[in-house]
Amino acid sequence: MNAVEIKNLTKKFGEKTAVNGISLEIKVGELFGLLGINGAGKTTTLRILSCLSKATSGEAFIYGKSVSENASEVKQMINISTQETAVAPNLTVRENLIFIAGIYGYSKSERIKKADKMIEDFSLSEVSGKKAKLLSGGWQRRLSIAMALITEPKVLFLDEPTLGLDVLARRELWSIISKLKGRITIILTTHYLEEAEALSDRIAIMTDGNIKALGTAQELKDSAGCEKFEDAFIKIAGRSI
Amino acid sequence: MRTLVFAGRNFRELLRDPLSYIFCLGFPVIMLIIMSIVNKSIPAEAGMTIFNIENLSSGIAVFGMTFIMLFTALQISKDRCGAFLTRLYASPMKPSEFITGYTLPIIIIAIVQCIITYIASFIISLILGKAISISGIFISGFVLIPPEVMFIGFGLLFGSLFNDKSAPALCSIVITLSCILGGIWMDIENLSGGLKKICEVLPFYHAVRIGRMSLNGVYDDFGKSMLIVCIYAVLIYMISTVTFSVKMQKEQK
Repeated sequence: MNAVEIKNLTKKFGEKTAVNGISLEIKVGELFGLLGINGAGKTTTLRILSCLSKATSGEAFIYGKSVSENASEVKQMINISTQETAVAPNLTVRENLIFIAGIYGYSKSERIKKADKMIEDFSLSEVSGKKAKLLSGGWQRRLSIAMALITEPKVLFLDEPTLGLDVLARRELWSIISKLKGRITIILTTHYLEEAEALSDRIAIMTDGNIKALGTAQELKDSAGCEKFEDAFIKIAGRSI
Repeated sequence: MRTLVFAGRNFRELLRDPLSYIFCLGFPVIMLIIMSIVNKSIPAEAGMTIFNIENLSSGIAVFGMTFIMLFTALQISKDRCGAFLTRLYASPMKPSEFITGYTLPIIIIAIVQCIITYIASFIISLILGKAISISGIFISGFVLIPPEVMFIGFGLLFGSLFNDKSAPALCSIVITLSCILGGIWMDIENLSGGLKKICEVLPFYHAVRIGRMSLNGVYDDFGKSMLIVCIYAVLIYMISTVTFSVKMQKEQK
């Protein structure tokens, strides 16, 4: 069974087509990169898959469950880390983790156990008692991903997880995301091409709501006849410098 | 269980915001003290009784509720404008759990605010040598629960409809209206004509009135005022609940 199946998925906002009948299959444990310029339809696709938005037509399935028909079951299997940092500002790091575990129905003792594990896995111990609003952008993003993982999702959506972070913080997050590879299915959208190349098992390049190319980073470079992934992306995305 | 977990988070967020203490708890008490001092400077011949402690305390209790409305609106609009609610929308939480989770901690703070206001009123009344009735305080605190629900409903409504910049502006309109037309700073009883009619149609005057009547043990037309406040409370809370659910679904389209 595939972790994610997308069949002719279309999303229109009035006259504008944000996602144009895309079809896609993502394997269990795969880290799948979704690339594209602004307005390509990456975030809209992610929003539909995470039950935050409804498709105009077509269907998407998470572990065989329809995101439109079985949204509550799908929501138990997924979690999301959004572009903006989604943390409760006045709660501490530990309280944020315990809170999210509680929302997904874990018992009090399980919440504490899971929060401790996340604090250890994400090296959050030095800031665990600090309010989230007092953390730097890098720490907040790290917490945001930890909050997404504490519920043990089968599918994790990372929407531009390193946006606005400095190089060091970005590399730290790369290392965290790399460690998750194979354990859970991850769908990652990003503007950083080197990030997608370094982390993704396969990459889809979207333009104007369509999937223009799909394959490993090497396959995309080969098909575009470019040595650098950035050149391949520009060629495929149909933009010239 | 999700409702309680969410309510717990909202309660902590409110308790850790210093503005909650200043506006929800401190400000009503300060106003009570200031207006009592002002009242001492008003000559008895002026016949102005609304600032007498037995009338002022219920007015201030309702005045404090308007800040509860402001805080409800701010909390929801801030959550909506950030990515935090997006995360929760992707979780198994239902609209009713959001609404209850927002309401529970706010209603606790509103009740605490009311208790503190009446305790301060009682102390001031003792200092002034005209102690207000303790049983009246209990009854008044109880009958002011529907206005609390009504103001929380207003807060839910504005927070659901507007962003964190517009919601406080709309709340300040309701705060001003309730102060003037509620008879907190103005003697409505001695008015007549169109303005009095407007006051009688709106719930603010009745909210202050039921508080004052129960505190002073005078129940003239109490039922009518209580009924009007209850109808407004139920209506506004229902409208705000539906609005939040519709907005939540709309934001997911």
